[in-house]
Parts: sequence; C-alpha cells; structure tokens
Amino acid sequence: MELILKALGTLFSVLIYPGFLFVSAVGLLLAGFDRKVLARMQKRVGPPLLQPAYDFFKLLGKETLVPSRANKAVFLAAPVIGTASLAVMMLFLPIFGRAPLSLRADLIVILYLLTIPAVALILGGSASGSPFAGIGISREMVVMMAYELPLILVFLAVARKTGGSELCFSLERIVAWQAEHGPLLFHWAMIPAALAMLFVIPAEVGTQPFDAAEAETEICEGPLIEYSGAPLGLFKLNTAIKMFLMTALFCTLFLGGSGVTVTLGPIWLGAALSALLNTLILLALCLAVTLLCMTLVHAVTARLKIEHLFRFYWTVVAGLALISLILVWLGL
Amino acid sequence: MFNKLIADSLSRSPWLYHINTGSCNGCDIELVACLTPRYDAERFGFKLAGSPRHADIVVVSGPITSQSKDRLIRTLEQVPRPFCVVSLGSCPRSGNVFKGSYSVEGPLEKYIHVDVSVAGCTPKPEAIIEGLYQAARILKEKRLAIQQERKEAD
Repeated sequence: MELILKALGTLFSVLIYPGFLFVSAVGLLLAGFDRKVLARMQKRVGPPLLQPAYDFFKLLGKETLVPSRANKAVFLAAPVIGTASLAVMMLFLPIFGRAPLSLRADLIVILYLLTIPAVALILGGSASGSPFAGIGISREMVVMMAYELPLILVFLAVARKTGGSELCFSLERIVAWQAEHGPLLFHWAMIPAALAMLFVIPAEVGTQPFDAAEAETEICEGPLIEYSGAPLGLFKLNTAIKMFLMTALFCTLFLGGSGVTVTLGPIWLGAALSALLNTLILLALCLAVTLLCMTLVHAVTARLKIEHLFRFYWTVVAGLALISLILVWLGL
Repeated sequence: MFNKLIADSLSRSPWLYHINTGSCNGCDIELVACLTPRYDAERFGFKLAGSPRHADIVVVSGPITSQSKDRLIRTLEQVPRPFCVVSLGSCPRSGNVFKGSYSVEGPLEKYIHVDVSVAGCTPKPEAIIEGLYQAARILKEKRLAIQQERKEAD
C-alpha cells in the first residue's frame, strides 16, 4: 500500500507538479511575456500573452511529415527525449525548501540533464538529412561547448562557497545555506559568477544574440528545418521550458532562501498555501530574470557569428566565472 | 474540446511561407512591411517561417515563370496539411503586365486551389493583412473539415 502511494506521488510530481504539466504551462507563459515585452520595446502591440501556447496547440493539429531520407525512429524520438529530460530536471530544483528528488550531487545531474535537450536537437537534426540542419547542428555543438565551460565554473564557485572546505553539490543544501547567510547574489565575491550565469542562460535557451544554431534568417531554424506538426511543437515547447528552468536555476543558485512559511489552520492547509506562495515568488523572480537577460538583450543586439560567440564565452564569460572561483577559493 | 482548442489555435497562429515566382519584388517588400512595427501583423500571431514544413499559409507572389513553376509545385507538396494558399498581387491572379509572355505560365489557379487572392499592384499592407486574416479563418474551417472526415471514417 505504502509503495503504491509512493509510486503515485512520484508519478504526480513527474507528470503534473512540479513536472511536465507545470513547467510546460509556466514555460509557455514566460515565453509569451518575452514576446509581448519585446514587442512593446519595439513600439509594437505584440502578440497576445498566450501566443506560444496557441503555436504549440496549432502544431499538434498539423500533419507530421517525415522526409524520405530521414531516419524515422530517431527523427521522431528526439523531441520526446528532450522534453522528458527537462521535466525530470525540474524535480531537482527546490522551490525555496525541499525538492521532490534530491541527491548528494544535484548540480552534476542537472549539468547532464541540461545537455540532453541540446543533444536531442543535434540527434533530430542529423536524422533529418538536410544540409541546413547539418550547418545548424555543427553550430549547436559549438554553442554547447561555449556555454558549458562557464556553467561548470559557476557551479564550482557556488559549490565551494556553500560547502566551506569541501564542495557542496546538493541544491537543497545550497538553498539552506542561503537561508542562513543570505542570497549568494549579495556576497560580493559571487557577483561575477552571477553575471556569467546571466550570460549562460540566453545561450542555453538559444535566444536572439546567441541563436546562431537556429538562425531563422540565414539557415531557416537549422536543425528544425525538416520538422513539422507535433515534433516541431515539442521542440518549441522545449525552448519555452528551458527558459523557465534556466531562470529557475539562477534563482535557486543566487536568489535562494527559506521562502515564506504560512502557519494558518491545519498543517496541510498551511503547507499548501506556503507552497503556492513560494511558487508565485519564484515565478516573479524568473520573470524578472527573463526580462533582464533575454528580452532586453534580444531587443538591443543583433545575432553574433558563431566564432565570435565562442570567443566571447571562453574569454569574457568564463573569465567572470573564473574570477569568482578564485575569490571563493581564497576564502572571500 | 481538445479538437476545438486545436482548431481555434490554428486561426490564431498562422505562420507564413513566402514564395516568389518571378515577382518584381514590390509585393514582397509590402508583405515584409506588414510584419514591421508600423503594421505589426504579429498581433494576430503571423510569423514568417523559413521552411515550407513550418508553414500554415503559403503566400505566392509573381506571375509563375517557367523557371519557377516546378519549384513552386515541389514546394507546395512539402507543406503539411491543413494549409492555405494566398496569391499576393495581380501577377499570380492574372499575369498582370507580364500576361502573354513566352516565359509566363500563370495563373496560379492552374496548379493549386487558391484560398484567398489579394489583388493590387502592389496591394496595400492593410489589404494584405486582411487577406491573411481571412486565410487564417479558412485554416480553422479546413481543420474542422479534416476532423469531420476522421469522425465519419471511424
């Protein structure tokens, strides 16, 4: 009996909250905010807030074409793999407190889970057999290498800062440390790492200045060119979910804390209310981070060439993260 | 209910794919003007797509030259259903000033059913947006028709 209940609980957290359904809804909404605010910055009226949701449901209703040269199984499985890994990744992120899944090395698992959607895109693109996709996946690989180094350096800096003399890779402990000592963003040695992380987010999501892999105007969305219907919709959903997950990861690493605790009525009501409030606070923070590091940057910059992007990430962004790492290692 | 949601979304998020079949570039410029901040067709969810596989509305401009005819037909075969075809300007509709030329194989009606035809040389952006908006409505009807077909087949 207990085992069944536990299995049901896990299923609930994977599929509904805070798993697939929750991250999809929030991700699509966040993408809608991004498009709307971008439009307002360009003095346009802009699409409705639910536009990404409309796009997704429309693509579900379209015919799915598989090119004759494509490897059908890989071509169709790739987007599903990406979505699944993203839904699982949310289970590791604590919303001010406890996470449904917690290990000793959350950060390392997250690093792998973050790579999977990009690899899925590469797999799907290469399975489609289009030359545009070929250019796209080669660029996607370069982008991946570009942001992965700074991301690892940021993780190391955070782990060293919160772990004291050893490295602490558990997100729950990182949040608990921040509840005690204040958010990491307000420790001056960590500010360069936070800046580096803000640069990593748009590259990971693939928004405007860093979207060389999916450049719509030159290589027609690269790896996605042969996709249509539901698989394309899933890839678009993946981008939206990534937008939420990356900003949520930033909030967990640098703006964590104990959150709010409501003590009202019976225990379960208080717990439910505080969970709701904490989720809302997280969403507000995510929205702010999205607007800062994606929408604003999108509105004022043009796309970088792939070699410039690579150089930028391995010099400026990795340098920022390295400064933090050295400062933290020196005990500051 | 889910079917209704999908059909509704189809009319709210039409992605455009633009084929130039020997147009003088006038209509193409006006189509792009529709997407600029001044007219902002993105209000209705319109977006330019780079690949015919992402398209919901195929916009054809130009009088269909013999060089572009085969490419046009091949491209239209790659668009996932349901989709709409919009002819932009007078050229694909009648041949316009190019009518009777040895290299013109129009009108577009000969090759595919045209859902909406926006006339003019060149049509105003307002007219183009209205035509595209009507095409988005037709998309929804087409989707409902496909659902009806499936229901009857069951």
